[in-house]
Amino acid sequence: MADEFEPLIIALCCNWCSYAGADLAGVSRSQYPPSIRIVRVMCSGMVHPNLVIDALTKGADGVLMCGCHPGDCHYQEGNYKAEKRAEAIKLMLPDFGIEEERFRLEWVSAAEGARFAQVVKEFTEQVKQLGASPYKQ
Amino acid sequence: MAKTLVIQPVTRIEGHAKVTIQLNDAGNVDTARVNIIELRGFERFCMGRPVEDMPRITPRICGVCPWSHHLASAKACDAVFGVTPPPAGAKLRELCNSIAYMEEHILHFYVLAGADFLLGPDAPYSVRNVIGVLQAAPEVAQRVVKVRHMCAKMLETLAGKAIHPQAAVPGGFSKPLSKDERDKLRKQADEALELAKFSIAFAKENVFPKYLDVVKSLAVINTGFIGTVKADGALNLYDGNLRLMTPSGTYQDFPYDKYTDYIAEHIESWSYLKFPYAKQWGEGFSMDTDGPKGVYRANTLARINVCDYIDTPLANAELEEFRKNFGRPAQLTLLYHWARLIELLYNAENAIRLLDDPDITSLETRVKVTPRAARGVGCTEAPRGTLIHDYETDADGLVTNVNLIVGTTHNNAPINMSVTQAAKSLIKDGQYDQGVLNTVEMSIRAYDPCFSCATHRLDGKLSVKLDIFNADGKLVDTLAN
Amino acid sequence: MAARLAEEWFAICGGCEVTILDIGEPLLDVLKQVEIVHMPVLMDHKLFGQTGEDAEMAIPAADVGLISGGVRSDEHKKLAQEMRKKCKFLIALGSCACYGGIPALANTFSTEELLEKVYRGCVTTEKNGLPCEQIPTLTDRVYAIQEVVPVDAFLPGCPTTPEMVANALIALLEGKPLPPLANKSVCDECPTRREKKAVSILKRRFEGAEFVPGAPLTEMRCLMEQGILCHGPATRAGCGGSEGTPRCIRAYMPCEGCFGPLTEKANPMVDMMGALSSIGLDPKQIPDRAATFNRFSGAGRLRPIPAKR
Ligand code: SF4
Ligand code: SF4
Ligand code: SF4
Ligand code: FES
Repeated sequence: MADEFEPLIIALCCNWCSYAGADLAGVSRSQYPPSIRIVRVMCSGMVHPNLVIDALTKGADGVLMCGCHPGDCHYQEGNYKAEKRAEAIKLMLPDFGIEEERFRLEWVSAAEGARFAQVVKEFTEQVKQLGASPYKQ
Repeated sequence: MAKTLVIQPVTRIEGHAKVTIQLNDAGNVDTARVNIIELRGFERFCMGRPVEDMPRITPRICGVCPWSHHLASAKACDAVFGVTPPPAGAKLRELCNSIAYMEEHILHFYVLAGADFLLGPDAPYSVRNVIGVLQAAPEVAQRVVKVRHMCAKMLETLAGKAIHPQAAVPGGFSKPLSKDERDKLRKQADEALELAKFSIAFAKENVFPKYLDVVKSLAVINTGFIGTVKADGALNLYDGNLRLMTPSGTYQDFPYDKYTDYIAEHIESWSYLKFPYAKQWGEGFSMDTDGPKGVYRANTLARINVCDYIDTPLANAELEEFRKNFGRPAQLTLLYHWARLIELLYNAENAIRLLDDPDITSLETRVKVTPRAARGVGCTEAPRGTLIHDYETDADGLVTNVNLIVGTTHNNAPINMSVTQAAKSLIKDGQYDQGVLNTVEMSIRAYDPCFSCATHRLDGKLSVKLDIFNADGKLVDTLAN
Repeated sequence: MAARLAEEWFAICGGCEVTILDIGEPLLDVLKQVEIVHMPVLMDHKLFGQTGEDAEMAIPAADVGLISGGVRSDEHKKLAQEMRKKCKFLIALGSCACYGGIPALANTFSTEELLEKVYRGCVTTEKNGLPCEQIPTLTDRVYAIQEVVPVDAFLPGCPTTPEMVANALIALLEGKPLPPLANKSVCDECPTRREKKAVSILKRRFEGAEFVPGAPLTEMRCLMEQGILCHGPATRAGCGGSEGTPRCIRAYMPCEGCFGPLTEKANPMVDMMGALSSIGLDPKQIPDRAATFNRFSGAGRLRPIPAKR
């Protein structure tokens, strides 16, 4: 391939902290790779594992799941649930022949625009290393 | 003119089989074989599963006798965990077994095999079936359908689900029976007993006398028998010792977990199904219809032959009459049907006895179990014959090894012999028609075989033993893995 | 005029056929209105002519066709095609036909591994000088019927319920569309009490549920919340028939998923892992996840686990 591989990454950001954080990154013009497509969800706790597996088996090269820091969830315990689900997702990825490193859970607050940009940059690098999803042909 | 006749599928039995008959130049039968044409591989994919899931997975071997697999499996689990279920647990299991037996025997006699007798083996194929029976004897058919359905409902009351149940668990039974439920079941059991009494009287009057010639000539072979008896020699279908009887009627009892000392399995290349034989007799294996070696039979006739008596009065009276007519052991293949009706009666009586037992409504139906590395054998009499589940587990209770010998498999050799005998006696000088071929199939139906059961396997890793015989039936080589 | 009915069974146990008989007395009415033209379990129509002399297998034309069991051999495949050709309306009967069922658990083994076993059974061929072609060859894995030929309707369940079969047949006889499958999960029909939080760590299924004998099920805590793995959340409702209450729950036993996935496309493993983790159970403890959660839906969903790259 002549062009450098540009992975497609889906970021699932909760409405109350992470999405605001991503917004801030945009407003304050922090640089982050164009690989990312942000999907706003009400809470990280509502991200069903199906959503992640579906994304990864239908074309995405990586999925980033973001929620409020522990204790800060707008719905009290959503992000604890998200943490448990993330474990379950990691466990299942090999069953689908997908590398665990294509999925990541991060806590990002509304004030952490720069951190969001940093996380995206790192994760994009990581997925680049892995190459295109095995489901992409 | 030499040619090959293929009867496919063999119909009104459970599962898939075909018959291949080879005619020689003179149009006479050279060989006749029942080919088992299916495999599912249970022994392979059960490995690695938690052993407590086995009683729920293995019933899918057979939807006609799911309870037999369910119970044999639960008993194997008891043995693996080293526990004995409390009285109520064991009795609830046995009660379900008896009800399931009634359902199954009624199904076979009236719905599957019945048409041959009620309408005649030569009736056109389009009416020679349950719908034909329905038209010929609508009242009987209606009653049969009703009682069968009632048996299914009784099982639902006891266990939630009638087919592929889950209530027998390692250590007992998951659901206690309430007194109200018991009272309801008790009434239903009476109705089932009435049908059982009617069935045997009906058959003795209208069916068997008409076909006595056929019974005495079709598919007749001489073999040994296997079945389960209690310590005092009484017939039992849920638990007891195995009894292996020689063709002449001498026998030996042994605990079922010692089955490998008595039985071995032979393989033929033209069938996916193995041929168990009585290795303990030390004569090897041969399906020669004139002088079989090591061949024994299972299922109704076998059990009726091996038991000393039946511990319920009506069925025992029938047994005595049967013995007076046909001796012990009775060898005529079509007597399987008669024996089946005696068992139907026994099960109805046994269900009533269990429902009247005060233990049955006890709340203590199961004991706690803890996993360990062990081997456990469970055995029950399935309608089709002795059923053996043999599991090994690791310290976590995950299955490491499975061996299953199902009822029909025991009858593989005798079925083949009966078919050969039937085909040879019926097809002469190239003359045959579909009535003749159906009569050949009747010799299979007598055994009520279940090739769904029999084809659960894809040759497992274990103890496959291959005996190679030369043309005179002498053992020349044995391969084992 | 009576509707013509054909039935075939492939890799089966026969339970779905018994379920048809379990319809009970309404069956007698149904039978009066249908003419069974092919059904090995009940009637003697043969595939290669009544005396076995035809070269091609044939099934008579029918209005309604029922197939139970998944496709396991080349012969099943041919028969499925023949059924499709001859039947105006084709129904997949039971979870084996719909999703592969229990026999599809074999799909976690590689083709080579299975074929090796089968061919070994045939090694004796040369020694005895007998042909292997009296028995059909196996397909590489178990297929659901719709993976082989298009199917018009599905009646899932292992076995399916007599009510569902009866309702489907009656609808067809009346020329009406089939009642749709339940669009909810077993949990939605389960009467047990739920608080969305597990009260125990995940237990093995040999541990019994806690319940008060004789008390209504509404007083029993959800089995999953008791720590007993129950497939209710990822399993299609309907097994309870008109009574509603799921069949296994009636015996204080967990659902094992026999009605198959919630929708055609759903992935029961992912759904179950999600459900477990949502109430705080540790899904790591489940041995052999894929086979456990796809126990009845292995046809398109179970593969030999891919080797790590
Ligand atoms: S779905 Fe279940 S009951 Fe029906 S054939 Fe398959 S294993 Fe048997
Ligand atoms: S998980 Fe099981 S016990 Fe709990 S509500 Fe669902 S079906 Fe009922
Ligand atoms: S509860 Fe689940 S496993 Fe039991 S019958 Fe219903 S769907 Fe099948
Ligand atoms: S609202 Fe942000 S994680 Fe719940």
